Amino acid sequence: MSGFRLADGGRIDRRTKRNFTFDGKAQWGYAGDSLASALLAQGQMLFGRSFKYHRPRGILGAGVEEPNALVTVDRGPGRITPNLRAPSVALHDGLTATSQNRFPTLKTDLIAVNNVFSAFFPAGFYNKTFMWPRAAWEKVYEPIIRRLAGLGDSPTTRDPDHYDATYAHCETLVVGAGPAGIAAALEAAAGGGRVILIDEQEEIGGGALSDPAQWPWLEEASAKLAAMDNVTVLPRTTAIGHYHQNFVVAAERLTDHLSVDEAEGAREKLWRIRAGEVVLAMGAIERPLVFEGNDVPGVMLASAAKTFALRYGVAVGRKLVVMAVHDSGWRDALALHKAGVNIAAIVDMRRDVASELIEGARAARIACYQGYAVTGVSGGQAVKGVTIALAGVGKGQKIDCDAVLMAGGWTPTVHLWSHAKGSLRWDEAWGAFVPDKTHEDLRCVGACGGAWDYGKGLSGGLLPAPKPLHDSKAFVDFQNDVKARDIGLAVQEGFRSIEHIKRYTTNGMATDQGKTSNLNGLQIASGVLHRPVTEIGLTTFRPPYTPQSFGAILGHHKEALFQPLRKSVIDDWAAAQGAVYENVAQWRRARYFPQGSEDMDAAVARECRTVRSAVGVFDASTLGKIEVVGPDAAEFLNRMYTNPWKSLEPGRCRYGLLLGEHGFIIDDGVSARLAPDRFHLTTTTGGAARVLNMMEDYLQTEWSDLDVWLTSTTEQWAVIAVQGPKARRVIEPLVEGIDLSPEAFPHMSVREGKICGVDTRLFRVSFTGELGFEVNVPAEHGRAVWEAIWAEGQKHGAVAYGTETMHVLRAEKGFIIVGQDTDGTVTPDDAGLGWAVGKKKPDFVGKRSLARPDIVAPGRKQLVGLLTDDPQAVLEEGAQIVADPNQPVPMTMIGHVTSSYHSATLGRSIAMALVAGGRDRMGETLHIPMPDRTISAKVVAPMFYDAEGSRLNG
Amino acid sequence: MVEIAEIAVSAAELKLGTEPVQGAGVRLSHAGPRSRYSLRARDAKVLAEVVGRTLPGKIGDQAEGVICLGPDEWYAILAEDTVLPRGEGLPVSVTDVSSRALGLVLEGPAALAVLSSGCPLDLANMGVGRATRTVFETVEIVVWREAEDRWHVEVWRSFATWLWNAFLAAMPGAHG
Amino acid sequence: MILIHCPYCEEARPEVEFAYGGEAHIARPVDPSTYSDEQWEEFLYIRNNPRGRHHERWRHTHGCGRFFNAVRDTVTDVFETTYKAGEARK
Repeated sequence: MSGFRLADGGRIDRRTKRNFTFDGKAQWGYAGDSLASALLAQGQMLFGRSFKYHRPRGILGAGVEEPNALVTVDRGPGRITPNLRAPSVALHDGLTATSQNRFPTLKTDLIAVNNVFSAFFPAGFYNKTFMWPRAAWEKVYEPIIRRLAGLGDSPTTRDPDHYDATYAHCETLVVGAGPAGIAAALEAAAGGGRVILIDEQEEIGGGALSDPAQWPWLEEASAKLAAMDNVTVLPRTTAIGHYHQNFVVAAERLTDHLSVDEAEGAREKLWRIRAGEVVLAMGAIERPLVFEGNDVPGVMLASAAKTFALRYGVAVGRKLVVMAVHDSGWRDALALHKAGVNIAAIVDMRRDVASELIEGARAARIACYQGYAVTGVSGGQAVKGVTIALAGVGKGQKIDCDAVLMAGGWTPTVHLWSHAKGSLRWDEAWGAFVPDKTHEDLRCVGACGGAWDYGKGLSGGLLPAPKPLHDSKAFVDFQNDVKARDIGLAVQEGFRSIEHIKRYTTNGMATDQGKTSNLNGLQIASGVLHRPVTEIGLTTFRPPYTPQSFGAILGHHKEALFQPLRKSVIDDWAAAQGAVYENVAQWRRARYFPQGSEDMDAAVARECRTVRSAVGVFDASTLGKIEVVGPDAAEFLNRMYTNPWKSLEPGRCRYGLLLGEHGFIIDDGVSARLAPDRFHLTTTTGGAARVLNMMEDYLQTEWSDLDVWLTSTTEQWAVIAVQGPKARRVIEPLVEGIDLSPEAFPHMSVREGKICGVDTRLFRVSFTGELGFEVNVPAEHGRAVWEAIWAEGQKHGAVAYGTETMHVLRAEKGFIIVGQDTDGTVTPDDAGLGWAVGKKKPDFVGKRSLARPDIVAPGRKQLVGLLTDDPQAVLEEGAQIVADPNQPVPMTMIGHVTSSYHSATLGRSIAMALVAGGRDRMGETLHIPMPDRTISAKVVAPMFYDAEGSRLNG
Repeated sequence: MVEIAEIAVSAAELKLGTEPVQGAGVRLSHAGPRSRYSLRARDAKVLAEVVGRTLPGKIGDQAEGVICLGPDEWYAILAEDTVLPRGEGLPVSVTDVSSRALGLVLEGPAALAVLSSGCPLDLANMGVGRATRTVFETVEIVVWREAEDRWHVEVWRSFATWLWNAFLAAMPGAHG
Repeated sequence: MILIHCPYCEEARPEVEFAYGGEAHIARPVDPSTYSDEQWEEFLYIRNNPRGRHHERWRHTHGCGRFFNAVRDTVTDVFETTYKAGEARK
């Protein structure tokens, strides 16, 4: 034996050395080692500091259950991963790992003073202590707690890695590739269906990897699986959770086991698997025992020691004592002995142990102490020996050793079974919950199903001790530093439900989710409460099974692909012109087009003035559009919208106001009748999908007798608004087959013809108050038509304008924007749109609500205009309005500003607001208190420009 | 610290490719211009008569580019410049949506895997010639299995840039 | 992710293709003007919130586009059945 490396054995490749660093110190191991096995081989026992008391901690387990040995792996800038479990970190060249939760170093930790005063840090300490004085919270308590809180450090730079994701489908998914899982996969594969077999470890085999006798079988089975076309084997893949109907999400780690130079492509891949049948073969996790000193580095699970020896060729000590309450401890001890590890003694609480085990131990010259319990462990940062006592209370006797193995029985890994809402039943022989019933096509095989013959044992990990429970410093939850006495205290303070005990003590709430602590905690609570565990219940398992990177969960959805950004076909042109953008729903829209050094105000003022004095061109393509077709089209719209539609003649347009059944405005838009049975509707940009869904709903479920159909045409048409007194002159030379004269083509009408040789639906409409047209052309021609209009516009001094100018121009005319001037509680009358409600219509969506008492009551907020006394003061949108600025705080707020701009046309600010009883306040002065001053404004009608509408005709 | 704004803005830089891209076992390209129609009717016979075509009777079936999407809905992907009669006055809806969508084509033995990276359907079990509306992650698409290893994907125009690049991200060997 | 059997497509499809549509079998009155304020309030806002069987609407938005009805157990999320719009309550 060199160091702690056994002379032979294990699945490591002793010809291939791997160099790595731990806490900056150069180390080495072999290919096939884990970080834990390589460090143990060098004699490293201390791996980390505990969360609360900063106690020195070593390795407890050899798998994902490991609560103590959490490390941070650094793979370069942005590639720092905290809280990895050392036994699950595959060794590779250049691996850079550091221990966590120590300050400043692992060996000398200043915060370990918490440990000295641990008597003062019982369960609920933080809740009880930092209550008062209140003022100390922000300055004193919180900074201290923040300094101490958390496990590991979050990365602070961008993660440069790629992550992959996919859906996958199979007839059978097997989770866990130990002997039971492999057998299940082979059986399912023989049936010909698609099989996916996943396993979280570096190679498949599970428990068989720690049992050389099974290696020949394992090799044969692996080859068989690899040769089958219908089988996908995914090692290094963790099933994070089981969701409804056998939807299992798993994360495959693709590159973390490779050196940084070898790593290519995506780092992880998220598998979203839908399986006909799911077979859980997740095995079982050994339980620690609860005795004083059970957290000293060198005290670990017997199964872990066996895995380190037989899979990795590492002895966890030179002289080991086994503390067992279960036969498996004896078996592991004998296997270790056979592998060349020195077992000094087996201590077992039980007197009746199978004679074959006792004979085996005797043959190996291992001292056996039956009926004894370990009552203490000597050593601080490493085990020096144990004290054992008959029945835990007899006279203590010491045994020298440098490692203690715990064999507390086994807990089936039922996490995914529980995610699937499978019920559990208490199994006395296992001393654990095992799977019972499920409504999914799901079954457990092997140890996780309770089917594994590994002998008998006691259930309950708390060993008898000379000290009473309330003095016990034995640990239950290693990662969250929960002691047996904390659970006793929780019960004493009145907590009865295991869910409450868990939250009060934090038992099972660490990153390992209590894989080694839940059952021991439950059993202790059961003992204190004098109630059987079945009456106390088990806490709920929730995904993820083990901590999961956000990267894999995001998959491709990051950075540029985070979500679609929709652009119109004219967007590129705007970009080339230096447009500044804003996002509206998923669209990005040109907000304004600055020239030279113009800021937004200057650009918008110029754009507004030019539209009012000459002409402007605006990309309105993002407006929602719906084609409504069928003999009952007019009848349908008549029922949906507030105003009458049946009388609208083909070729004419109408402003449509859409309410919810609750009577509040939810959308609006100008729509055109193209033919008796065909309408072209427009909706707001953000409302397009919602309105279509709502109309489909009525059509399919309320009025399914109507012969009318809806088709989204939002993306069929590019829409170019040409607005301003010279609008007609700009489009005139480009249009064919449409008489543009005011007589032939009046305001609010539509014509079909050609523009620039392309089919167009030409609307004469205005959202600016100026003479205006909206040119609809098939999207692929939008850019060319835009450029032709733009070129023609240059002869007339045209500007391109964006959404900001559009907003100002419409506000000057008092046109509302749904969602800005309305908020889902505004009726047509509130918005001053009572004229758009057909008084004679017997019914339309929302009509009945307009007669509800609250809606006809006086004092509702109504849309009004505001003119500030200081014409240059621009109110803040959203600012609250009061009647009396001198009233005591809190003031009575009577409304808020909905739209506010500087109007270049008027040379002053304008605003719209929702004000209680607003229309009865015309001429009144109201006040808008701001942090630095109070602004006063006069209530006016929301119409600031060309009230008579003479400009519409150019 | 991570600049969130910077990440969000990068979506604006995505470009819709114009030339085919070859990855390992999969090629992504544009289907090219098509005439597209949304066809609706309660009575398929009336509609079939209006448009002069066979309408597949079962949701998911396709015949000569006409896909049955819903009980009263068909989507026709036809040769460019095909014009269908509107059937004015009849209880049908024939709406030209040629410009609404773009057609992308994934072909090759790895095409299925690329599509499955974001489409939750069991596409391996989708018969050749069948088609359906579904999603690729958050984006609605119409998938048409034109041949064993050839998939025609229809997507609304403004989502095409995202989808093109999402396909690239899932195509081995096609991204850096 | 739940699988939902679409009664129009006659197959189970992934949840992401669907949108939830609230409680089922709340028909809009033929003539809402005949409803009292209380009746109208009931129609607009009052909904069942059962523990167990819930009749609810779904729309196969990204599939066939149809609204349909379902009976789902609100405790287990298991769909007991789905049926076409207009069919009698199940």
